[in-house]
Amino acid sequence: MTTEELEQLLAQQPIALLHRLARGRIQRHFRAGKRRLIEVLLRHSAENRAGFESDLMTLIGEQQARPVPPPQQAPAARKPKPSAPHRRPAHKPVEQDSHEPAITLSSWLEGLGVPPPQTFVPDAWQEDAIAKLRESDVVVSVPTGSGKTYVAVEAARRAIAENRTVIYTSPLKALSNTKYTEFSKIFGPDQVGILTGDRRDNGQAPLLIMTTEILRNLLYDAGGGEIDVRLDTLGLVILDESQYIADPERGVVWEETIIFCPSQARLLLLSASIGNPHDIAEWLTSIRPTPCHLIRHSTRTVPLRAGYLHPNGKLTPLFRTVGIPHGHPGHLHPEAKRLFLQYEDETLPSGRRR
Amino acid sequence: MPPSIHPVDLIIALRDKHLTPAIVFLTSRRACDEAMQAFDHSHILLPPPRQQAIATVLDKVIAQYPSIAEHPLIPTVQRIGVAAHHAGHLPSWKIAVEELMRHGCLDAVFATTTLAAGVDFPARTVIITQSSIRKSRDFMDLTIGEVQQIAGRAGRRGKDLVGFAIVTPSPYIDLHVLTKGFTGHPEAINSQFVISYPMVLNLLKAHPLDQIQPILAKSFAQFQLNQRAEVLERKLDDLRDQMEPFGPRVCTDWITEWQTFDQVRRQKSHRAPVRRYEPPEVSARFHFLTPGRVVGFGRSRGVVLRQYRSKGQKSPMITALRLGGGITESPASTVTEVSDRVLDCVDAPVYPWCTPESVEELLHHLEELPGRLPELPILIPKDDEPIPDAIVQTLGDFACPTCPSRSACQRDYPLASKLRQEQHRHVKSIQALRTSLWHRFQEKIDVLQQFGYLTPTARLTDDGEWARLIRIDHSLLITELLRADAFNGADPAMLAAVMSSIAHDDDRPGAFPRVSSGLGSLLGQVRKLAVSLSPHEDPPLLRADIAAVTERWIGDPMLTWIGLCKSTTMAEGDIYRLLARTLEFLSQLHTLKSTHPGLADTASRAIAALRRGVLEELP
Ligand SMILES: Nc1ncnc2c1ncn2[C@@H]1O[C@H](COP(=O)(O)OP(=O)(O)OP(=O)(O)O)[C@@H](O)[C@H]1O
Ligand SMILES: [Mg+2]
Repeated sequence: MTTEELEQLLAQQPIALLHRLARGRIQRHFRAGKRRLIEVLLRHSAENRAGFESDLMTLIGEQQARPVPPPQQAPAARKPKPSAPHRRPAHKPVEQDSHEPAITLSSWLEGLGVPPPQTFVPDAWQEDAIAKLRESDVVVSVPTGSGKTYVAVEAARRAIAENRTVIYTSPLKALSNTKYTEFSKIFGPDQVGILTGDRRDNGQAPLLIMTTEILRNLLYDAGGGEIDVRLDTLGLVILDESQYIADPERGVVWEETIIFCPSQARLLLLSASIGNPHDIAEWLTSIRPTPCHLIRHSTRTVPLRAGYLHPNGKLTPLFRTVGIPHGHPGHLHPEAKRLFLQYEDETLPSGRRR
Repeated sequence: MPPSIHPVDLIIALRDKHLTPAIVFLTSRRACDEAMQAFDHSHILLPPPRQQAIATVLDKVIAQYPSIAEHPLIPTVQRIGVAAHHAGHLPSWKIAVEELMRHGCLDAVFATTTLAAGVDFPARTVIITQSSIRKSRDFMDLTIGEVQQIAGRAGRRGKDLVGFAIVTPSPYIDLHVLTKGFTGHPEAINSQFVISYPMVLNLLKAHPLDQIQPILAKSFAQFQLNQRAEVLERKLDDLRDQMEPFGPRVCTDWITEWQTFDQVRRQKSHRAPVRRYEPPEVSARFHFLTPGRVVGFGRSRGVVLRQYRSKGQKSPMITALRLGGGITESPASTVTEVSDRVLDCVDAPVYPWCTPESVEELLHHLEELPGRLPELPILIPKDDEPIPDAIVQTLGDFACPTCPSRSACQRDYPLASKLRQEQHRHVKSIQALRTSLWHRFQEKIDVLQQFGYLTPTARLTDDGEWARLIRIDHSLLITELLRADAFNGADPAMLAAVMSSIAHDDDRPGAFPRVSSGLGSLLGQVRKLAVSLSPHEDPPLLRADIAAVTERWIGDPMLTWIGLCKSTTMAEGDIYRLLARTLEFLSQLHTLKSTHPGLADTASRAIAALRRGVLEELP
């Protein structure tokens, strides 16, 4: 995209989208008018054009995923298409604009149920991540429950086939144990090992599971000249739940692990949705031998609806729309609003209501 | 009306609308346990085939983890199809509940929000009852990212067409936090880089001192500091443009010249250059407390509206707009945190020193700010030199009074000097942003040199060589204990007990067994050392009652897990975590085989004694 094209594209977007794009990039963007905002955004985009464009496309994609209200109530559960679920899942319920009348409970509940069994088809972003990992480090930032494990498994499978060691780390021992069981089922028990501070089960296996602290310590030892695990054949390091890098107590361990990670090994960072994944990718690009590729999206695979349940058992939608009105926290369902105000009146001492 | 929905009614409502299985996030473990008790006499039983399915899954898990065979929750789980899952439970119990959920056997799980991170534990519906969580002893509003992690558990791929996140109120819930969380974009995350003693030792083991700075520069912390520095550099460019008209005049540096002249003039007339001693950090900070700056005052937060010096004492003061809307005058020294955030405000010459619209806008932005803000690193200069008397004496030497550019200087001075001050401030900030990590690293080097782990040239001493293998919290205390030979003659139980009192960082009270007298006096010694180290490392809680739990477990090999649990009011999940952490600490001592063979041997015997029963079930 040339700068003119980019400028044109920006000019076509609603101001709300521009503000969303400016978040975290430009200070006090909310004070700027559209012209000025485009100007600063363009100036800013020079720093990381690729990241900027990909964020812009994501936002535009989300925007388009929110269609104009259809003439009549759309059937909430259409047949899910097996292909390309990374775009908009076909059964995603349609949202309405706020000036439409608020939806009813029954339309909010409509579409609830179990999808018909399908053969497993990887999402495009999953395939993309696995493919990109051939050439470069990859950061994946997608919503909870999207299927990050699949990327980890397939990447590990390939590295093992190439006789490389794979290390998978998680922040919690409990999660390590779950993955140990899960991966042992997938790869066979002799292919998977687990390391803890005082125990080493099957430490010679090609796929090793450990907490990030244990890996950091191995890397410390390697730095001091004591190679313990076969770091020289290390082909892939997977850091799951890497949003932990922002943990006040333990975050530093993720940074150290990434800084000391041997350059011949690929890094795969799996993270829940965070606000600035492009920063992480850009950082990795700046310190690692190959540029890092960012895979991100914020569309949930299984759409989410929000509701309000009153202590007397009455259930109502939380928002005026079936789906969640992104960017509009104020679009509350009148019934939910009424019930919640009533709740506050009854439970809070008078005058304490916010 | 009750302040929150009764658990039985909740399950009835969820079943009625086909919203099961659900995860019900509650504020505390206690709330989860009470929710389970609420089903004791309830008649909303599962049909027999479903009860049977639960039994089958449980049997399989119990075969692998016998520790949960007698779990008191099993009858309720089987009859009603609900379970509790929180940090007070054993890992094996949590695995059982997760397995039951995976098989779709349960209608609901009552859990605390710790579950939100990572554990593979999805459901059709998530019930949210709170808008804040306890983080390091304080309740904090959930971030957007956290709300989405929690709500995101709803809707299982392949099992649900849609997921439901349902808010049900409990006292003190703030609906706004949740609606913002549902509809917003997750926050940007920030580096939390801290420099620890083991990090310094291990880096210096692998690299000479002159290579350290480039390594620190590779951190995400530095990456983000650089981003902030670049923003300032752009501002600096702007300022340079604005300074254009104020270039050299009759004298090259007319701003300084005029400033000195002006100041000297005043000093002479007032004859009262009383300036009390001011701590250098206060002076350094004062510089940055300019209108719009977001600052912290202990627990509360505010925006600076103006800075000034008090009339009598000339002490540095600020006027600030506080969260909640109050406008206060306070000494600059009460500011505990200078953030790198500056909000826009339009100044005004009189109270409240900015326009009324500004106040409103500032207040709004202040409320919207995230809980944690990056701090502005501020370098503290050695000294802030006053104008030497000699210059004051030589007022006659100034050319200003007769200079042709006098009137221009006089006119432009206020703006030019304000711009230049701003320039200086930015230059200083940039310098601090670029070098703060390195300074923090050097501070740690100083301490390690002082204690003899590093030589004056920052190489590892003999003690440094082994100390770098201790890579856990409170490493300085542990290595100092070893150097003081504190564990000489300690048996495995005593060593493990002390380690667990160092490892345990929870101050939840409870009733516990008593310590042996030997352990009591050893702990006294440890406590003394910890206090003496407190300028360099925060002391651990060192609870004797916690140490006693570990001492008992190791000291009496016949003691069963149930027996241990009965001797204290600690939840079994907490005991498990305590012992698991102790194992981790002991295994680090075990790595000191070559330099501390006796201690390593005691540690390995302690590990062997500790790892039995429940503690053997999982790696
Ligand atoms: N392409 C796909 N098609 C259908 N189902 C999928 C696909 N990819 C993953 N899944 C399923 O989605 C579910 C969630 O996957 P996974 O646990 O990997 O999510 P995650 O992104 O790691 O979530 P979390 O943030 O909770 O860690 C799993 O049951 C998995 O089998
Ligand atoms: Mg996952």
